[in-house]
Formats: sequence, C-alpha cells, structure tokens
Amino acid sequence: MTSETILVEQLSKTYQVPEREGGFGAAVKGFFKRKHKDVKAVQGVDFKIAQGEIVGFLGPNGAGKTTTLKMLSGLLHPTGGKAVVLGFTPWELKPDYLRSMTLVMGQRNRLSWDIPAADSYLLAQAIYRLSDDDYKKTYKELDELLELEPLMKKPVRNLSLGERMKVEIAAGLLHRPKVLFLDEPTIGLDISGQVKIREFLREYNKRTGATILLTSHYMADVTALCERIIIIHHGQLKYDGGIANLSRRIAPFKLIGVRLAQSEAEGLEESNGRDLSQYGEPVQNEEDAEKVYIRVKSEDVTKVTSRMLSDLPIHDITIADPPIEDVIERAFNE
Amino acid sequence: MLNIFKRLWQVNWAEQWQYRANLAMYILYWLVSPIIYLSVWTSIATINGNVKGLTANDFITYYMILLIVDQLTSNIIIHTFGYKVQDGSLSGELIKPIHPMLTNTLVNDIAFKTLNMMLLIPIWIGLALLFKPQFDSVSLGGIALAIPAIMLGYAINFLLSGIITSLAFWTTRVFSIHEFYYALIMLFAGQFVPLKLMPEVIQNIARVLPFQLFMYLPIQMIQGNLSASEITQGYMTGILWLVAALIGFQIVWRKGVKQYSAVGA
Repeated sequence: MTSETILVEQLSKTYQVPEREGGFGAAVKGFFKRKHKDVKAVQGVDFKIAQGEIVGFLGPNGAGKTTTLKMLSGLLHPTGGKAVVLGFTPWELKPDYLRSMTLVMGQRNRLSWDIPAADSYLLAQAIYRLSDDDYKKTYKELDELLELEPLMKKPVRNLSLGERMKVEIAAGLLHRPKVLFLDEPTIGLDISGQVKIREFLREYNKRTGATILLTSHYMADVTALCERIIIIHHGQLKYDGGIANLSRRIAPFKLIGVRLAQSEAEGLEESNGRDLSQYGEPVQNEEDAEKVYIRVKSEDVTKVTSRMLSDLPIHDITIADPPIEDVIERAFNE
Repeated sequence: MLNIFKRLWQVNWAEQWQYRANLAMYILYWLVSPIIYLSVWTSIATINGNVKGLTANDFITYYMILLIVDQLTSNIIIHTFGYKVQDGSLSGELIKPIHPMLTNTLVNDIAFKTLNMMLLIPIWIGLALLFKPQFDSVSLGGIALAIPAIMLGYAINFLLSGIITSLAFWTTRVFSIHEFYYALIMLFAGQFVPLKLMPEVIQNIARVLPFQLFMYLPIQMIQGNLSASEITQGYMTGILWLVAALIGFQIVWRKGVKQYSAVGA
C-alpha cells in the first residue's frame, strides 16, 4: 500500500476512432474497409494525491480530463502506465474498490429516470451493504447539507437540472466514499446552486477526510475549493502545484488599475481615454469601468507605479494579481 | 445478496410498470407470428386429415403451449443492455459493486416477463376459446418435468444473448448479429414448425444445439410426447450448453469491459 491515496504514473490512453468521409461512396467503402485514427487522449501523465486533498483538475475541452477520471474510477482501461487508488488498480473493478470510491459525472448516471430517487437510494443501500443505521445517518447528513427531502418522492425525470444534480451527487455519496472523482459537479447550475454544492463538498471533505479530484469549467469552484491544481492540455501535464504559485510561474504580471482625478473640463471618458500604453499593456476590465487597467511585469511594478504617480493626476490606484481565469488561459496556451 | 435482488425487483418492476402501454403493443406484435403458424398448420392438417401424423388439434395445442413457453424462455436484453453500451449509460452501472448484466439486467428482464405474462394470460384464454384446443395428452407430471427445462432454456438463452449483446463493446452492428441469432431460434427451436416435421438432418442438428430447449423440448414434455431417454438426452445437452454459455459469457464479458470506451458519459 502506498502512502498516497492516488498515484498515477505514465498513464496513457489512446482511442481508436473510426473515420470516414461524408457521402454515399465513402459509406459503401467504409462498409468493407473501416479506417481508424489513433487519438491520444492522455499521454504519460504523472501525479500523486495525498489523503484529504481537494485537487482541481483543469484543462480546455478535449484535454483528457474526463478520460483520466474514467481511468481512475475504473471505467476505462489505459493503453499504458499505471494508477493505484487506495491500494487498488482501478480497472480491475474489485468490489472493495468500487465500494470506497465514487464517480459523479454531471448527467444522469446513478439514478433511474422513471422512478423517485428514494427508490434508487434504497437500492444503493442494498448494493453497498449499508446497515439501516449507517444509511439513515449518512442520508440525514446529506439532507442537512443539500435539502434533499422535498425531492425524494418525485420521479427523477420531473426534477429540475439543479435538483437532479443534488440528488445525483448525494446518490454517489451514500456509501461514504473515501475518494471522490467529480466531473463538472456544478455544470448548468445557477450561482446559488453552485455555491451550495461547493459548500457541501468542502464540508464533506472536512467531516470525512475524503480525497477529492474535480474538474470544472467554473473557476470559482476551483478557487473556492482547491489549494492545488493540476492542468493538462493535449493529454500532457502542464502544471501541478498551488494556485498562488501558478500566477507567479505562468503569468508573472500584476494588474495596475488607476482612476484619474477629473478636471472640471474633462469628463470621465476623456480622462480614461488617456493613453497609458507607455507604462504597460492596456487591459480591458468590464467589471470595473471606472478604472483603466494596465498589465505590468511583477518586477517593474514599483518603478512603474511611482512614475505614474508623479506623471498623472491619480485619484485612486490598485495593484492586483491577474484573475485566475486569465492565468489558466495563458497556461493552456503556452 | 437477497436484499439486493429484492430492491432491484422493486426498482425494475416500478420502471416496467411505467411502460405498460408500450408493453401491450409489444405483446400484440409478438403474438402475430405464432398465431399465423398456428392458423396455417391447422388449416393444412384439417384439409389433409393430418401432417406426418400430426392432427389439427396437435398443432393447436403445440402453438398454444408455445405462446407460454416462448414468453418464459425469451429475453429482451439486446434491447435493454445493447444501447447502454453504445450510448455510454452503462458507465453508472459498471462502477457499482455488482455485475450489471447478471443482476440489474436479469431482474429487469424478469420484471418485463412477469408483466408480459399478466397481459398474455387473458389473451391466451381468449385464443383458447377461439381455437378450442383439446389438452388430452397434457398431464401435471409433464408440466412438472417441463418447468426445470424452461428454466434451463431461459438461463441458456439469457447467457447466449448476453454474449451477443456484449459484442456491443466492439461493434455497433450488434443488432444485426442478434437478428441472425433470432433466425437460428426460429428455425431450430421449433417456431416455424414443430421440429418433428423438419428434414431428418435438421432434426439431428437441432438435437445438439441449445435452441430446442427454448421451445420444442418443453412443449413436447408438456404434451407427453417424449420417451425417458429423449428427456434425459435433452437435459444433458442443456446442461452442457449451460456450462459452455456461462464460460463463454464470462470470457466475452471480461474482454468487453476492457474494451469499453464509456462514450458520452
């Protein structure tokens, strides 16, 4: 047994995808001889995750995130490399492994569409061999955090997207898994729904010490939950470390925002229309129209700020890290 | 394990019950071909007096029993399970610590069958009033003898269908392959025509194949037409096929899951 909860070494997955051109002729040809193309979804990824960590797993669409999660949960056999989770090789699909982890994938998956969630939950209780006491205790906790009770008696197909997500996530946690693989757990939810799921995950992690690996397109999920992120792109590991370090490494820039004092003759528009490009690269910031923003290298910040303070009639000035979205975007494109 | 099956039953029964209208349509569609065979053979036997010794009543009773036996030994897993592999919805089941095919799919199929029987029985009584079969040769002993044969037939058919359905892990054309399997059943299980009327060579082939357990053998047992040695031979062949199907299923399943690409989900 390794000391890490999740150990991934040189994990790779290549899909064989059938390929054919459009049109009747190609369809006939394809019937006799099928062409395949190799798609390298994951190429030699390494990482380790310790017990109790919440790690954000990021990358643009098609980067290999979901494929990696599917391999770690045992759904997919890798083409190469190894993975050990809780001492098990996931794709051997040992019942003891399946009882100690969960995979929640944004859509319908664990629950039967046609019947109320309550029935599917009782089935899960039987499948995971949970005693009545354990089941009731866990259900009570989940209900406290996610307010499940009003949703339990309706057929799942009649629930709203947000409601369905809640009962899906809870269904995946009834057996108190030690490892959670979450693929877009807040996709399609409104802001308050996202916040609820986030708070819930943080609380679950605190209460149970579970290890969580999650993908999300909402940076807020990642910044709220994860101290550590792993970025992959084109199936390769691009970054593994703290969120704070990422900005330092990938984007060693600061954003300087200034609001210029207005002379009576000058309106805001005119004063903000002033050309600041001699100090740094101008940046759009729609959230704060009152200020003008420029991007400046971290080491030049002091120099540039003092120059601006002496040159310009500055009313207000802020110096901040660039938003994490921008940093990650840069990391993807590197 | 018993508790799992109990809960699976509740879920699947509730699910099937939701689709009872579809089911009624399915039953009506499924009834068409045996009733046509029944009518055709009965007419021929009535005109000729008999066909190779089989009277009109023999054909009527044969097909009336076939309606029940076929319903009991057949399965629909190609339809319920094949799609799950192709659209990726199997993923949710594959990561649960129970075998998706031998638990959930099996119970779902039995729930489907139970509901079907509830619909079929009144229709069957109606048909019996219409065709007036004389069940003189049918005995309780014959029925008792046929019950294990029907169960054996169901188990073999389920596993063989399971093997074919598992080919969905490799190919999207699995439904055509299953159509071929179904054609073999039509021919060798005695649905087109009681096997006794087939050429000798077909009968000999049928004897070593598993398909006659799906319909012909249990029907003959119920009708009291088989000798002790024929019954023994039928059961022995069935048991051998059961073992072979079980091993074959395990191999194909294990390789298939390795091949699974969990698309879409």
